Amino acid sequence: MEPDFLPGTLEMLILQTLSRGANHGYGIAQHIQQISNDALKIGEGSLYPALQRLLMNDYVIAEWGVSENNRRARFYKITATGRKQLSQEKRIFNALLVGIARVMETP
Amino acid sequence: MKLWKKIRNLLNREAFDRDLREETRIHREMAEEKLNQLGTPKEEAHYAAMRAFGNPTLTQEASRLQWAFFFESFVQDIGFAIRMLRKSPSFAAVAVLTLALGIGTNTAIFSVINGVLLRPLPYRDSQQIVVMKENESLPNVTDIQRHTNAFSVGGAINAQPMDYTSGPEPLQIRVGLVNSGFFETLGIAPTMGRIFSEAEDVRGGPRLAVVSYPFWQSHLGGDPHAVGRPILLGGNSYAVIGVMPETFICPREHADVFISLWVADPNTAVDRDVHFLHTYWRLKGGVSLEQAQADIATIHNSLAEQFPAEEKERRMQLIPLRESLVGDVRPALLVLFGAVGLVLLIACANFASLLIARGFARRQEMLIRAALGAGHGRLIRKLLTESTLLSFSGGAVGLLFAHWGTRMLLALTPAELRWLNGIQMDSRVLLFALAVSILTGVIFGIAPALLAARTDVAAALNEGGRSKTASAAGHRIRKILVTTEVAFALMLVVGAGLLMKGFSHLRSMNPGFNPTGVMTMYLQLPTTRYAEIPKQTRFRRELLARLNSLPGVRIGMITDIPLGGNYVEYDFVIDGRAPIPEGEEPKVQTLSVMGDYFRVMQIPLRAGRDFTGMDREGQPLVAIANEEFVRQFFPGQNPVGSRIRWARDTGPPRWITIVGVVGDVKHSGLNQPTDPAVYTPFPQADEAWKRWMTLTIRTDNSFSGLVEQVKAQVWSVDGQIPVSDVQTMEQRMAVSFAQQRFYMLLLGAFASLAAILAGVGIYGVVAYTASQSTHEIGIRMALGGQRRDVLRLIMAEAAKLTSAGILIGIVGALALTRAMASLLFEVKPGDPVILAAGATVLALVALVACYIPARRAAQGDPMVALRYE
Repeated sequence: MEPDFLPGTLEMLILQTLSRGANHGYGIAQHIQQISNDALKIGEGSLYPALQRLLMNDYVIAEWGVSENNRRARFYKITATGRKQLSQEKRIFNALLVGIARVMETP
Repeated sequence: MKLWKKIRNLLNREAFDRDLREETRIHREMAEEKLNQLGTPKEEAHYAAMRAFGNPTLTQEASRLQWAFFFESFVQDIGFAIRMLRKSPSFAAVAVLTLALGIGTNTAIFSVINGVLLRPLPYRDSQQIVVMKENESLPNVTDIQRHTNAFSVGGAINAQPMDYTSGPEPLQIRVGLVNSGFFETLGIAPTMGRIFSEAEDVRGGPRLAVVSYPFWQSHLGGDPHAVGRPILLGGNSYAVIGVMPETFICPREHADVFISLWVADPNTAVDRDVHFLHTYWRLKGGVSLEQAQADIATIHNSLAEQFPAEEKERRMQLIPLRESLVGDVRPALLVLFGAVGLVLLIACANFASLLIARGFARRQEMLIRAALGAGHGRLIRKLLTESTLLSFSGGAVGLLFAHWGTRMLLALTPAELRWLNGIQMDSRVLLFALAVSILTGVIFGIAPALLAARTDVAAALNEGGRSKTASAAGHRIRKILVTTEVAFALMLVVGAGLLMKGFSHLRSMNPGFNPTGVMTMYLQLPTTRYAEIPKQTRFRRELLARLNSLPGVRIGMITDIPLGGNYVEYDFVIDGRAPIPEGEEPKVQTLSVMGDYFRVMQIPLRAGRDFTGMDREGQPLVAIANEEFVRQFFPGQNPVGSRIRWARDTGPPRWITIVGVVGDVKHSGLNQPTDPAVYTPFPQADEAWKRWMTLTIRTDNSFSGLVEQVKAQVWSVDGQIPVSDVQTMEQRMAVSFAQQRFYMLLLGAFASLAAILAGVGIYGVVAYTASQSTHEIGIRMALGGQRRDVLRLIMAEAAKLTSAGILIGIVGALALTRAMASLLFEVKPGDPVILAAGATVLALVALVACYIPARRAAQGDPMVALRYE
C-alpha cells in the first residue's frame, strides 16, 4: 500500500524517519517498509517528489556524503522547522485517528 | 523565500537534474545490492530493481515539477511546438494559410458588421431616437410636437441642392432645410458658435446658417472667425452662426450647410401636403417605441379628421434610428456573415484534417514519448499547444488579410454603407479575431490531439508501430470532414450562382430607354432671379436654342432623371369618371420635359404624338402618359383625347388632355416596378418650385469636350448657375447595379474560396488513401491489373465522398438560400439550373483534386510499391 492515501502523510512519515537521524532516499524507503512490517511500500515515483517538496519548504536539507558501506549518497537531514512541522502534523494526525476510530467503533 | 528558491533552482537546473539522476541511480544500485545479498542472481537483481523503481524519467519529471512555476511547462510546450513546426514548414504554411483565409474573411466582414450594426451611432443616447418611416410636412411636425406625450423634441430635415456663389466659381452644394429642433433631437452641439433658436425659426426670420465641419474646412478655409461671415446660398446672403463638430454626420442624407426651412422656403413650410421632410424624434425617458407609436397614432387620427385631403390616406410609423439607417443592408450583411462563417468552417475542417494526417505521421514519436513516460494529458496538451499556436499564427496572418480585405470592401461598398464611417479595425474587431483564433485552435485541435495521443504502447509495439484502429478512426473523421466541406462549399456556390443569375436578370432588364451615348447634368435655377414660371421658361428656351446650335447633339430636359431616385407624385381625377372622395384619388408620377427628351432617351412613342414647340404657355394643356398609366386607368382603351386634372388644384378646373402614350421607363430603379407616370411640357408647368432640371444630351461624337461646351452655353445664358451631377446615363445605370454587384462579387469570392478549400481537403484525403494502398496497388499491377483500374479504385472513394457532400449540400442550399430571398432579383432560391450548375462545379473541383494523387499512385512502379515498407 502506498502511504499517500491522505495528502501529506508521506511527508510526515519521512520527517519521522529523519527525526531519528540523517538518511538517504533508499534508507528512508527501507526504514518505512521494515517498521510498518511491509504494510507501507514507498514507490520511488512518490518518494523523490515528496523529498523535493520537503526541501522546498525548508523542512529538510540535503547534502552529499558517504554511506555506511562507503557509497556516495545524498543524505537528508531534518531542520528545526521540520521538527516543528512534524510535531504539528503528529498532533493533527492523532486527532484525526481518534476521530476516525470513534466513528468506526460506533455501531 | 519559496519564490527565490524556485528561481535559484531554475537557474541551477543542470545541477539539480544531475543530483537527481545520480541519486536515483544510487537508489537502484542499493536495491540491487540488497537483492543480490539475499541470494538473487546478479542479472536478475538488476532487472528486478529496475522494475521496482519504475519509470525513472517519470520520477525525475515529477520531482522537478515540485519546483516548477505553473507556466513553465506551458512555455516549454510552446518552445517545443515552434521547433516541431519549423521542422515541417510546408505543413505549417498550409495550415496557417488555410486558417488565415478563414479568419481573415471573417474578420473583414465582421468589421463591416461591427461598423454598421454594432458600433453605437454617433448621436447622444442614440437608442432614444426614433424615425418616422414616412416623410412628413412641416405643419404635421409642428402639430405632432404640440400634442405629443412621447417625445421631448422632434427634428426635421430635407437636403436640397443649392448654389453657393461666395466661392471662386458657382458651386452646387447640399443644403439641409431643417427646423430648430433638428440638432437637439440628434443631441449634437456645434463645436463653434451656436444653432438657430426656436424664435429665429419663423417666417421672415434672420437668414442664418450652420455649416458642417468639412464645409468650414474647404470653403471657409477653417477660419476661426468664420462665425458672422456671410455666405451666398441660392442668391441670398446668410450669416454663419455655427460650425458642427468633425464627428457629426447627418443621418441618411448629405448636407454641407443647414438653414431654417421657415426662413428659406416659407411657402413650403406651411404646406401640409408637401411630405418631404425626414423626421427624427427623441423619446422621453421611459417611453417605449410601442407607447410612442400609440401616441403618434392618436395624433394622426385627429389630423386625418381635420385634414382628410392631405392626411386620410397616409400612415405614420416609427422605427428605431438604426433600422432606418441600415434596414436594407442588414439581411445582406447577415447573409455575407453566414457565408464567411461557412468558409471558416471549411477552413477549420481542412485544418483538423491536416492535424489528423500529421497525427498519423507522428505515431512513432507519440509512442516513444508515451513509452518514455509522457502522460496522456501531457501529450494532449502538447498537441493542443501546437494546434493553438498554428491557429494564432493563422489569426495573425488573417488580420493582415482582413486589413487589406476591409480596404477592398470599402472601395467596393455602395455609398449607403459607407457613410457610417465606422468600418475599421477597432478593438472589438481585434477581439473577435482573437476569439476566433483560440476557438478554432482548441475546438478543431482537440479531436486530432485525442486521436494522436491515443497510445496503447504495448498493442502498438506489437503492431510494429502502426495502430490500425486509431488511423482508421482518423481516416473516417477526415472523410466526414471532407463530405461536410463539399456540402458547405456547394451551399456557397449555389448562393453565389443565384446572385449571379439575379444580377444578369437585372442587367438584361430593359430600362425603357437607351443609355448609350447620353450625357446628363443637373441645373437648378435660383429663387432670387427665377421665382416666376415665365422667367424659368425663358431661361430653358434660350438654353435649348443655344445648345441645339452645337454640332451633332440632340438635347432634352426632364425634372427628375430616371434612376435618379426622385419623383413627384400628384393625386389626379379623370374627366367623366364617377367622383372619388377627397383624399382617396389615385396617384401618378409627374415629370416635366422639354426639348427632344423622348427622342434623346429613345423612349418609344406608342400612340398619339410627341410634344411640339406649340405645346407652350397659353395653349391647351397637354400630357403624355406611360403604358403603365394606360394599363391601370384605361385598360383596353386608347387614352389619347381623354382629360385629367390634379386633385389638389384650387380655383377653376384646369383640364389636361392626354395627347400621346410612351413606353414604360424604370424610373425608380431596375429592380423596381414601373409606376404610372404622366409627362407634361415644362412651359405649361403649374408650380413655380419646379426650378430644377436634368439636361439629357445625345451625341454622335465622343463625350470629350462636350461637358465644357454645354457649361459654356449655360453660363452664356446665366453665369451664376452651377452645373452639377455630370454623369453619362450609363454611369447612372452602373450605380443602380452597384449594390447587387457588390453582394455578387463578395459572395462569388467566398464561394470560390470555399470550393478551393474543399478541393484541397479532397486532395489531402485521396492522397492519403493512395499512399496507404501503395502496397495493394503494387500487388494488383504485378498481377496484371491495368493502371485504369487502379485509377478507378482510388477515384471511387473520392466520388463517394463528393456525391454524399453534394447531396447534403443541395438540401442545405435549399434551406439556407431562402435567407437570401431579399437579395435575389427574379430568381427563386431553389432554382434547379443553379443547383445543377453548382453541383457540377463542385464535382469538377473534386475530379481535379483527386485526379492528381490518383494518377501519381497509378503511375508508380509496381516494384517500388511492392517493396514499400
